[in-house]
Amino acid sequence: MFTRRSLLAGATALGGASLLPGLAHAKGSLIATTYPGSWEDAYRAIVAPMLKKQADIDLELAPLFAMDQIGKVKAARGAPPFDAFLLDPGPRIVAIEGGLFEKFDPKKLTNLPKIPEGFADEHGVCVSAQVVGIAYNPKKLPAPKGWTDLLKDPWVSRLGLTGFQTTFGTSSIIEIGKQFGGTLTNPEPALVELNKVLPKVAAVGLPAAMPGLFQQGQCDVMFTNTQTVATLKGKGVDIEFVKPESGAIAFYTTMHIAKGTAEAENAYKYFDLVIGKEVQTALTPAPYNFLPVNKDVPLTPDMPMKSLDEMAKYINHDWAQINPLRAGWIEKFNKEMAK
Amino acid sequence: MKEGGKLSLFREWQLAVPLALAFAALFLAPLLLLVGVSFYNDEKITQPGFASWLKFYGDPFNYKVIGDTLLLGAKTVCTTVLIGYPLALVYLDLSARLQKVLLFVIVMPLLLSVVVRTFAWIVVLGREGVVNSVLMGLGVISEPLKLLQTELGLVISLTQIEMPLMLLPLISVMSRLDPNLRDASAALGASRWRTLFTVIVPLSMPGLIAGCLLVFASSTTAFISQTVIGGVRLIYLPLVIWQQSLVVYHWPLAAVASLSLVVSVLSVVAALSWAGRRSGGYVNG
Repeated sequence: MFTRRSLLAGATALGGASLLPGLAHAKGSLIATTYPGSWEDAYRAIVAPMLKKQADIDLELAPLFAMDQIGKVKAARGAPPFDAFLLDPGPRIVAIEGGLFEKFDPKKLTNLPKIPEGFADEHGVCVSAQVVGIAYNPKKLPAPKGWTDLLKDPWVSRLGLTGFQTTFGTSSIIEIGKQFGGTLTNPEPALVELNKVLPKVAAVGLPAAMPGLFQQGQCDVMFTNTQTVATLKGKGVDIEFVKPESGAIAFYTTMHIAKGTAEAENAYKYFDLVIGKEVQTALTPAPYNFLPVNKDVPLTPDMPMKSLDEMAKYINHDWAQINPLRAGWIEKFNKEMAK
Repeated sequence: MKEGGKLSLFREWQLAVPLALAFAALFLAPLLLLVGVSFYNDEKITQPGFASWLKFYGDPFNYKVIGDTLLLGAKTVCTTVLIGYPLALVYLDLSARLQKVLLFVIVMPLLLSVVVRTFAWIVVLGREGVVNSVLMGLGVISEPLKLLQTELGLVISLTQIEMPLMLLPLISVMSRLDPNLRDASAALGASRWRTLFTVIVPLSMPGLIAGCLLVFASSTTAFISQTVIGGVRLIYLPLVIWQQSLVVYHWPLAAVASLSLVVSVLSVVAALSWAGRRSGGYVNG
């Protein structure tokens, strides 16, 4: 009987092990998800080689947005296509409710004392924080001050929008809505205001397409996170990050072990490495700009906050309230935005 | 001899068993599963019922989505025929060496990943892309044209992406046409246009129908091209299926949308096949 792992091992053996005998002696492998774009770039460049060097584990990265990860594991029904999740708060709650995680034992992490209390629980461990705000091209546009500027000239005609499919998209639309009388559970005013300026909007795309559209000059202002800005800047794109006047959105990003995986022990080693000083130090400076969770790693001056203690001052959304409403919002977004 | 013939027929039938089993396991079973899942009311697939069908078909917006999806396929078929048919005629008149070169050019897009082809079109059609740069450089336009995230841009890119699927069956059929027929038509006094419409087009109809069928089925289901080039303001059924299955996790609704796509595309495909059979009968009969 072929299993996913035996097929992967076979493919690896056929493809490379015969040419690189060292690979054949790895202690194991791990398939972990990562977000497309900045996270994928950073984890391929920094984390995968370190995991190989320190734990002799081959890390296979599967770039998937959080919601896609949940969908794939649900579809696989007990035979997860990967061993470790990387999630934002909303999808994390969906996965907990769906029983998609193995019970997590934080004590197995040697670096546990190095992260703030409460950053690891029975579900998983927090590995970074994300800050969401507005990104713009300083050579084409003046800096926007807040969310409402996005719907005015000169920004609106260069605006790139994405919908409720991702955490950063949902959070940003909620915040736009709040400026027009909306609430956490009612982003309707944002859709009404967006609808008024829709013919002027430069692009409405899928989340994964937005960095490419910005890079190609199809749009010059969009809502996104600081990591995407840092990655695009590292590629020579003219882009700057702005914290909106009403406040930027912040949330933690967590890692979890997929229910039913045979590689739980390797997943612990991977998570331990990720929160360790070496990886966190490497991921903190440009072009990655990941907010570190390790207490021994200082935040860099160009980061949106000086320490993680400031997270409380940022806008935090209650995803337990958002999740049940999101399907309806997506339908509404489709109808309002459709040509 | 008769028994030997039967045995041989039985053995030949056995040869088809692996394919039939693969077809049953990989296509028929998932399709039946899809039909089964569509008859559940809730996201957790616990309450059987018709609610998902009623919800999907109770919303007029979804009729527009189905119509737009089929219309996109029809537009792509029209443009590939308009550009592809003359190209196939040119192919017929080329030397064998040039035919090989043209065939390579036609097949080349199939050798590239659809993702690469699609992103290349962003570079071509973008605000600062090749088309706008050339037109602005020539002074034809003063402001960049909006080509990306429009149906026009999507149809242009799909025309290039799907062109091999039109040309390959068309060239295959047209290459088998007897060249003497064209000479005979001319000798009997028919003009080039009359020869084209009364001799070449009817005889090439099976290839044309096959090309239309492939282009239609492929363009209506081209999720990556539709979403990356067209953006999410142009809503087609593949986007709805993706949202329902991988964002909202409402699989019964995703199953209804999927079956709607299968049925609507297959209806058009069946109509084209019927037209193909009719034309084949006309040509041969």
